[in-house]
Amino acid sequence: MLKLASSFTSELLRQAESGMGYQIVEATLTDNKTKRGIAFNAELLLFDEEPRSIMLSASYSSILESAKSSTGELKSLRVVPRASTMSLSASVRESAGAYGKKTGPAKDAPREKTKADEVFKRFSAYQNDRRVQADGSLLPGSYATTEADAKNVKTGAEAVARYALPDPASASYRFTIRPDKDTVIQYGIVQPDYGQPGGGVEVLFAEGTQPQTVTGPDKIPDK
Amino acid sequence: MRVKLEQRWIKRLLQLPESGMGYQRVDLSLADGREVRDVPVFNAEEVELPDDLTGVRIQDVRLHAA
Repeated sequence: MLKLASSFTSELLRQAESGMGYQIVEATLTDNKTKRGIAFNAELLLFDEEPRSIMLSASYSSILESAKSSTGELKSLRVVPRASTMSLSASVRESAGAYGKKTGPAKDAPREKTKADEVFKRFSAYQNDRRVQADGSLLPGSYATTEADAKNVKTGAEAVARYALPDPASASYRFTIRPDKDTVIQYGIVQPDYGQPGGGVEVLFAEGTQPQTVTGPDKIPDK
Repeated sequence: MRVKLEQRWIKRLLQLPESGMGYQRVDLSLADGREVRDVPVFNAEEVELPDDLTGVRIQDVRLHAA
């Protein structure tokens, strides 16, 4: 994490945002290596390999104040064009897309039906997830992921990144969904959004699930 | 700032599909006539609003058309 020198800030302010309040950037370091990251408010650079949960650890101003200066660390900075961002994420989607070769969002995918004994997971920042009803069903129009994809997620912070969740709070409550055979679902790949890479498999239960199909949550580590 | 929605909006949102796991993208009409577009609602109950809008009553909540 680096506090950007004013020359970099000026440069970033001349370029478009990637989303509200942030820019996805490629930084060239003084050793000529390149790294991707997110520049917040054109002044604070968080590299991709650094957990975004850092941003929740203290107030923005104190994080900025304590960040190391970019002077002597960075040679240049460029905002990654949207198309290039998509191209990078496409490679992520390619690996995640092994599941049914899907690459787009679930809402645009054709409707399919679950097989017998299929298991899905849903990550939430809320223990009292309102989409999970008292009878153990999932409301129509709710999202989850496959059991296989959920195995890539060890912490709530990783869930936020993999499923591009807008809430930076750790999604560390994990529900298990065992729908009846032939439940309607749509599979897709989470698109990059909210400064998160996405790339995970998303499953949309357009018609919800039956009573007593959702259990949990169990709690995974926040980060 | 995060604002808790009134029960009637929670009920409405729970009848509408999510935009992703655990959230919905919505447009809001405020009582002072202002419109807020494409803001996330978490768990059908909490909306993230700019600080200057937090005291204004919400008149309508609709899913944002992507």
